Amino acid sequence: MSNNKYKILLVEDEANIRSFVEATLETNGYQVVLTGSCTGGLTMFSSHAPDLVILDLGLPDRDGLEFIKIVRQVSSAPILVLSARTTEEDKVSALDLGANDYITKPFGTAELLARVRVALRNRRFDTDEDRAPRNVFILDDLKIDYPKRLVTVGEKEIGLTKTEYNILAFLSEHAGKVLTYSAIIKAVWRFSDSGSVKKLQVNMANIRKKLGVRPGENRYILNELGVGYRMLDE
Amino acid sequence: MGKSKEFVKHSLFTFGVLLAALAICLVLEYVVKAHSLISDVFILGVFIIALNTPGYYWSVVASFASVMIVNFVFTYPYYAFDFINPENLTSAIIMLVVSIMTGTLTRRLRETERTKAEIERVRMRADLLRAASHDLRTPLTTIYGSSSTIIESYDSLDDSQKLKLLSEIRQDSEWLIRMVENLLSVTRIDGDNVQISKVSTVLDELLDTSLMLFKKRYPNQPVNVSVPDEFITIPMDPMLIQQVIMNILENAVLHAKGMTELNLKVSLNGNQALFEISDNGCGIPADKLPKIFSGYVDTSTSERPTDGKRNNMNIGLSVCSAIIRAHGGNIWARNRVGGGASFFFTLETEENGDTL
Repeated sequence: MSNNKYKILLVEDEANIRSFVEATLETNGYQVVLTGSCTGGLTMFSSHAPDLVILDLGLPDRDGLEFIKIVRQVSSAPILVLSARTTEEDKVSALDLGANDYITKPFGTAELLARVRVALRNRRFDTDEDRAPRNVFILDDLKIDYPKRLVTVGEKEIGLTKTEYNILAFLSEHAGKVLTYSAIIKAVWRFSDSGSVKKLQVNMANIRKKLGVRPGENRYILNELGVGYRMLDE
Repeated sequence: MGKSKEFVKHSLFTFGVLLAALAICLVLEYVVKAHSLISDVFILGVFIIALNTPGYYWSVVASFASVMIVNFVFTYPYYAFDFINPENLTSAIIMLVVSIMTGTLTRRLRETERTKAEIERVRMRADLLRAASHDLRTPLTTIYGSSSTIIESYDSLDDSQKLKLLSEIRQDSEWLIRMVENLLSVTRIDGDNVQISKVSTVLDELLDTSLMLFKKRYPNQPVNVSVPDEFITIPMDPMLIQQVIMNILENAVLHAKGMTELNLKVSLNGNQALFEISDNGCGIPADKLPKIFSGYVDTSTSERPTDGKRNNMNIGLSVCSAIIRAHGGNIWARNRVGGGASFFFTLETEENGDTL
């Protein structure tokens, strides 16, 4: 069986959810492997080596977070978590433990497919061998020239402080992926204290203002309330 | 606030009131020479203390203290205790009894108030549940009915018919999702203490998220946004306030007939953030306006939406009201002078005591 298709492991205990997710993924050209428990998930992960994992956080036998911790010890395969609205803190923990993105239930199939696409695309840049050093990041009329540390919107050059540039560059390097407050803080400031999140938020507000973004416009950077930020991906 | 801080606060208050009573009485005694008012002033003091301190402890302590002070300072022999004298003893006992009773009566009054608030909450919850089951039945009927039709008549229906039924199922599922989100919001604030957990939230980010969610559901309805320039954070439960904004915006889309513009404006007034969502539609009917946030489902007049749109106004707005009140803010609505309606709600921008 020729296999150019990406293989996705779906770890979800609700049979009806497995059913429609499998149908959607398969009709969109993905190969799907299913399991209903964390333990099953770990077994299948090692035997099938999937390209991506969709993991439900509310699994019956073990905590989904356990799965992430264990898998992350050996693999950087993208993990998307499915979370219910009541598990806000779990979402952030999952991301901090190494999950790449989250989808909140109930979710639409379009959203699911979009997140899968983005996660698989970003994956190529996460392994060092594949990483071609990018000189330029372009999103709509936003352009970031890394070697020159220059940011332009259209023709206009945007004057950012060193910190603001570092934040923007970090987000762009992981475009499409949600980055938690703590991930950004660690990357930009190295250390964190109780005032770090506020400092980050103030910097983000300044960046938005300088880029000319108003609330609701959905340009360049999405903010995930209570979780972190995500730069749009093309 | 720690227990000891509470204790210090209440003892200072009690002491302060007694001191004030003493000062007033000294003035009365020596300046105005109105000797007969002395006991009354202290009983008034005990009353005030009972109103502002928890439990019976403080008012009882104040009662005893008052009797002591009156006997010591204002009763012959002056600046000495004398309870042996029968007249002094009697008046002291009477004053003690009166002030203790004043204290306990005041406490009982406050407790009745609290029970009334509790009853009100229980009634609101019952109303909400009733409105919810009423509103949930309709989309469920469609989902169950349409899917059954497709299964049973699969071969006799053509593709376009099947597609239509299926998209109606999806539409009503989306409706159910919104309803459940509202109900979930209510459960978050409906504990015994109505304590929501507030987090310092950036105003711009809250609006951004709310508006994008709104745009996803109603892509053809633009919203004009007006916010202050400065960096503003507000302590709140962001999911709940997002729910409020969504519900009010959605309410405008569904009920403001003839609306051509929908505005969202936030302004700062000292420690208070004022949110205003206004439209230029048909306005709110005068008879509905007073009850608009109460979740009252008027089944007697069989409110059937005349334009086929959902009649979810009841739950959405009453959930908004519950959320804003749980945040310690106010919410109100009125019709605009030139036509259309405005919904307002306020949130404190600073948390009393602990900052987050």
